[in-house]
Amino acid sequence: MTALVAQHLRKTYRTRGRGRPPVVALDDVSLSVGPGEVAGVLGRNGAGKSTTVELLAGARAPDAGRVRVLGLDPRADRGRVRGVLGVQLQGAYLHGALTVRELVRLYRSFYPRGLDPDRLIERVGLGASRDVRFEKLSGGQQQRVSVALALVGAPRAVILDELTTGLDPEARRSMWSLVEDLRADGVTVLLVSHLMEEVERLCDHVTILDAGRVVARGTADQLVDRAGLQPTVTLRTDDPGAADLLARLPAVEHVDTTGPRLVVTGAAATGSTTTDDPARGDLLHAVGAALAAAGVVATETQLRRPTLDDAFLALTGDPLEAS
Amino acid sequence: MTTAHHPPTPQVLELPEPGAPPRPVRPGAGAWLALTVAEARMVARDTAGLVIPLGMPLLVLVMNGLAPGLDQVVPGTGGRTALDVYVLPLTLTMVVATVGVINMPSFLAYYRRTGVLKRLGVTPASPAMVLGAQAFVGVAQILLGIALALGVAFVWLGASPPAAPWVAAGVLALAIAAMYAIGMFVAAVAPTPGSAVAIGLVAFFALGALGGLFGPRENLPDALATLGGWLPFGAAVDALGAAWAGLAVPAPALVGLGASTVVAGGAAAAWFRWE
Repeated sequence: MTALVAQHLRKTYRTRGRGRPPVVALDDVSLSVGPGEVAGVLGRNGAGKSTTVELLAGARAPDAGRVRVLGLDPRADRGRVRGVLGVQLQGAYLHGALTVRELVRLYRSFYPRGLDPDRLIERVGLGASRDVRFEKLSGGQQQRVSVALALVGAPRAVILDELTTGLDPEARRSMWSLVEDLRADGVTVLLVSHLMEEVERLCDHVTILDAGRVVARGTADQLVDRAGLQPTVTLRTDDPGAADLLARLPAVEHVDTTGPRLVVTGAAATGSTTTDDPARGDLLHAVGAALAAAGVVATETQLRRPTLDDAFLALTGDPLEAS
Repeated sequence: MTTAHHPPTPQVLELPEPGAPPRPVRPGAGAWLALTVAEARMVARDTAGLVIPLGMPLLVLVMNGLAPGLDQVVPGTGGRTALDVYVLPLTLTMVVATVGVINMPSFLAYYRRTGVLKRLGVTPASPAMVLGAQAFVGVAQILLGIALALGVAFVWLGASPPAAPWVAAGVLALAIAAMYAIGMFVAAVAPTPGSAVAIGLVAFFALGALGGLFGPRENLPDALATLGGWLPFGAAVDALGAAWAGLAVPAPALVGLGASTVVAGGAAAAWFRWE
């Protein structure tokens, strides 16, 4: 049984003002997450990530399509789904005048079984702020409270919408280790993010949303391959003949020159689409060997493999950070 | 997950039962209690929301109680004074109306706007439980306000208890239902928390003005005075006054309170949005 399934989801929102067409938030979005998997949903603001989360969580009904959580319809089978699905909703505020501890205990009371509130508060790094009112917490601390509330019922599946937004690097790492714990415990996790590093590090597979549609899905490596991206080698050299020399190598697609700085792009692999294709691993070696044979002195030589970030850019046509 | 810089973090995430079919989860008595306590804390920590329903009626009571002539017995009321049959009912009605029409809708609109209701909607608790808990805490707050007002009236102003206490209690219950219905209607139509407070205040002062809050209703034009007797504020004042005097509760007052409950409550139920 698949833990989380979305099939052909469509959702439109009415816009204010007479005669304006409704905004299509999601158009034919499908994704599935197997039990115990950690899956990512990636997209810029307005791509439809939060709408997808709200439909999966049953907070809204889709205009068309089907949602299943552990085989159940989250709206028709509300009672069964609520007990096993933990949800962190983006931008959902809590009772502002209640303290961290009061909130976690309150949400714990909704579930017949669950985690110990005090230990959970420690685990998300809020031990020192447990008696502080929610409204007095920083954005990052509020974020951690909402993660704690998503987990307090010991769910079998968790949807985390922007897990680490507003967190400092240390807290971010602590949240990541929390997700690793969830994975170790066999909990299914759907992680919505706009942080490439987070998704690349934690997720078994990724679905990329752009303007309400799924533009790609697969593992991070598959997405990099699908985007047709090649590794590059950068180096510095004062030798004017180096660029031409390297451009003639079979492993090299082309060479960009900016003053003494060369960017050597690898040639597309033929026949194979796996990352352990020898032609790719050998780019650095081929460049190094060719330069050495010609007696060219190069410094600051670096291999750069394409990242999910580059793949996202290539697949959606825009840099993520520009959103 | 152990790193070089951090001691091992205690494992708190328990293993879920693999493969067990999820059982339906319904929030039990513990959840209701926890949510009611949470709402009570929210209300108790909202200082401005405490001053209005507890402080303002008390101020009206004391200022009126100091006026000359209020200790004069009103004929045909079994020895009750103007304080008993007019000022006290006005004071108690204010307590009910401020909690029901001003405070409760502002909480509900705030919960809706900030996503609290939506967040609760994805837990086994339903957002409707918040309404229930708020209503319960509101009644507690009303009873506290009434106890304060009656205490001051009996101890310092020489007021008498109602001639028909059970009638007074019944009228209070009906008045609470009517004011809650209007408050829910305000919460239903208000788009933002700020507008909920504004609409609630306007509704409170409009009902109050027509119900004798700022001076005897007899000073109003006849049509408005009659209307004021049907609307819940004036109706509650009339009905409580009758209960204090031991007279028959006027029919328009009872009909008005009942009709307000049904009409405003029905409209609220039809238009209330959870997000």
